Amino acid sequence: MNVIEASGLGRRYGSTWALRDCTVAIPAGHVAALVGPNGAGKTTLLNLAAGLAAPSAGDVTVLGGRPAGSPMALDGIAFVAQDTPMYKNLSARDMLHLTRNLNRRFDQQYAESRLGELGIPLKRKAGKLSGGQQAQLALTLALARRPRLLVLDEPMAMLDPVARHDFMASVMMAMAADGVSVVLSSHVLAELERVADYLILMSRGRVQLAGEVDDLLASHHLLTGPAAEADRYAERLSVVHARRGEAQAHLLVRTTAADPVPPGWEAHPVGLEELALAYLREPAAAALAGSRPDRARRRALASETGRQTEVSK
Amino acid sequence: MDIDKGISEEPRRAAGVSPIDFRLDPASGVPTYLQLVHQVEHALRLGYLKPGDQLPKVRDVVAALAINPNTVLKAYKDLEGKGLAAGRPGQGTFIQATLSQVALPELSGLRRSLFGWLVDADTAGLDEDGVVALFTSVLRDFYKRRGGQADRGVASGETEGVA
Amino acid sequence: MTALSVAARPEEDASLRPVPWQRMGWVTWRQHRATLAWVIVFLGALAVAMWLAGRQLHSAYATALAACQPPVHSLACPGATIAFDGTNGFLGNGFLLQAVPVLIGAFAGAPVLARELETGTFRYAWTQAFGRWRWTLAKLVPLAVALAAVAGVFSLVFDWYYQPYFVAANQNLSLTEYTPFFPGLFDLRGIGFAAWTLVAFAIGALAGTLIRRVVPAIAATLVAYTGLAFAAGTWLRPAYMTPVVTSSVNVPGSAWVMSQWWTKGGKFAFSGWPSARLLNKYCPAGPVGVGPGGKPKAVGLAECLTPHGYTQWTSYQPASRFWPFQWIEGGWLLVLSALLIAVTVWLVRRRAT
Repeated sequence: MNVIEASGLGRRYGSTWALRDCTVAIPAGHVAALVGPNGAGKTTLLNLAAGLAAPSAGDVTVLGGRPAGSPMALDGIAFVAQDTPMYKNLSARDMLHLTRNLNRRFDQQYAESRLGELGIPLKRKAGKLSGGQQAQLALTLALARRPRLLVLDEPMAMLDPVARHDFMASVMMAMAADGVSVVLSSHVLAELERVADYLILMSRGRVQLAGEVDDLLASHHLLTGPAAEADRYAERLSVVHARRGEAQAHLLVRTTAADPVPPGWEAHPVGLEELALAYLREPAAAALAGSRPDRARRRALASETGRQTEVSK
Repeated sequence: MDIDKGISEEPRRAAGVSPIDFRLDPASGVPTYLQLVHQVEHALRLGYLKPGDQLPKVRDVVAALAINPNTVLKAYKDLEGKGLAAGRPGQGTFIQATLSQVALPELSGLRRSLFGWLVDADTAGLDEDGVVALFTSVLRDFYKRRGGQADRGVASGETEGVA
Repeated sequence: MTALSVAARPEEDASLRPVPWQRMGWVTWRQHRATLAWVIVFLGALAVAMWLAGRQLHSAYATALAACQPPVHSLACPGATIAFDGTNGFLGNGFLLQAVPVLIGAFAGAPVLARELETGTFRYAWTQAFGRWRWTLAKLVPLAVALAAVAGVFSLVFDWYYQPYFVAANQNLSLTEYTPFFPGLFDLRGIGFAAWTLVAFAIGALAGTLIRRVVPAIAATLVAYTGLAFAAGTWLRPAYMTPVVTSSVNVPGSAWVMSQWWTKGGKFAFSGWPSARLLNKYCPAGPVGVGPGGKPKAVGLAECLTPHGYTQWTSYQPASRFWPFQWIEGGWLLVLSALLIAVTVWLVRRRAT
């Protein structure tokens, strides 16, 4: 089952397309990370999946074909928006009561014990809680609904490192205990590396890269070799990003297992952050199954050979 | 690698409690699941873990390290594949065997020949980093030819030395 | 890559029953109990003030009534009459009371949706299983009904306060008498107050949905309501029923006079006031007597013009039509409110954010 399936999805505000030509299929049972700079369209995509916005083009279904925003979809998805909106005047207990009344399933016991463990007093008004506590309260409300899919929009933007760790630990525990799938967005990749096993890279309203992290890392390598030969190999290989010094060059290439390493060159595996940065630096590069890789490759190469060289330290 | 079957089982600790606890080095460049596998193997070598001991529950690992439970599952599956651990449905994952202990005389023999090699390398003009690079490269080739698990444990070395 | 299998959910079936409507009862109450509280306090204070002033008014009226009975006609009558006429604080300030329905409706109605949209809490509320349009409906309808009911109850005090002015016998006793259609009074009495409060709330809710900011939505509600009230009073209300036309000069003081005109010999002569030339010709001494408001009494004019073939015509709405007019106005206000709330719900359902 795909928890989120989008086909040609687009959303326009006025004359600006916040999201365009988005075709992804996020499988269940994963933690999918939506990564990209501000304005890349992450929040737009999540809003569309949660049913808060309607598409301007294409369509999006969730939880195995349910239309986004339909009652069946709303039932199975728990959405925590950016800045974790909360009714400031209501106490934590009131928020629990509220969420219980607005949903079919609600595990009151789980919610209360979780808040107790986190040290969030039930009587205190939500507006008086710290940023981290509010985020944890929002997460508690979401998890107590026993959703199939948890959607988090930059949930940790306001949190300090300890709170971030606790937040992520809670999410991962819910995944381990209940099999909840998670889709979360962030523009900080470093903290997603140990959490994400599905990656969607977005830039300027388009999806650049989407796939299981293991597959992506296995299909990309960093080739290090003489700068003089770099151009020759760049034509034959699918180069995503190149860095050149005077004598030495690094090429981040997309390869299959069968591609041989050119003689005199070294191949190193790539980390997630390095991979993401390389793609984000090359807006023309895209690597989607079912997209037009050759065209993207040619575009990427054209920008490569015409580029100024970067001096590596 | 030979695998000895554990002979005696020490009296178990309280059910559900594992003798070891995992830690994570996020900046090491080693994939998370590999770090877990290495820590189990290291604990086995040092004697912290014995056959019959339970590995930490997925839930507890996730709660402590805030990592993806799939990663923990992957690490445990890896250990199962090596024959070091076995899962018991409904109970958890338990150590099944130890790593082979190389006999003491063999160990000192290996040390001596390695020392001799290092003397030769030093004479040839290789410095410490050069020695490590050369060793890592040959190690990789050796296991590649041996088949399977080509990049096991060598990943950490490969990202070093890139100018 | 191993992935956790998703737990099977027993509630999975093709047709999920919607979350029951009554669950929203607590939600609406908890989120808006402060609003209801301040409305009750506000109206309560107003009612207390009116009751205190009303007791004064009623006792002055009773005194004047007693003093000015035809057989007795004591010396105290003129003084009592003046005392009664003077005790009309709320009458003169009745125009201030016009603001009460719109203030309640705007400040209670606009924030219901505008605050959610402004603070972003709609991202929580509208992603719950209850569903966004049902949530909107389950909030607006009970609140509208509650506010209208509260307003209706308090308007009983207004009815009681103004009651002395609408006794038919006042004319004979030369006590101040007002038409129940007096602008500024009609929509405070009967069911008018409740109906106008209801429509103000509905306008506020729609404005909040369209404008998405609380303060501008309140402002827009005030403006829209003012326009509507003005249009209703100026153009709609006079047309609810065809006015009665009479040539009798004894039009009761409680009647709502639409217009007056004079004919001569079956043909239209002039409307309103005669020209100076006509006056000088037929009424050299000027009209006799002064009526309410300081205007020359038409009776005096009739005395000097009628012998010369002029007939005065008056079109008016009699005071007995007060309640039919209330029902008509209340009716279309109710329909309009329902329509506005329906549009609001439809917008919530359709519009993306």
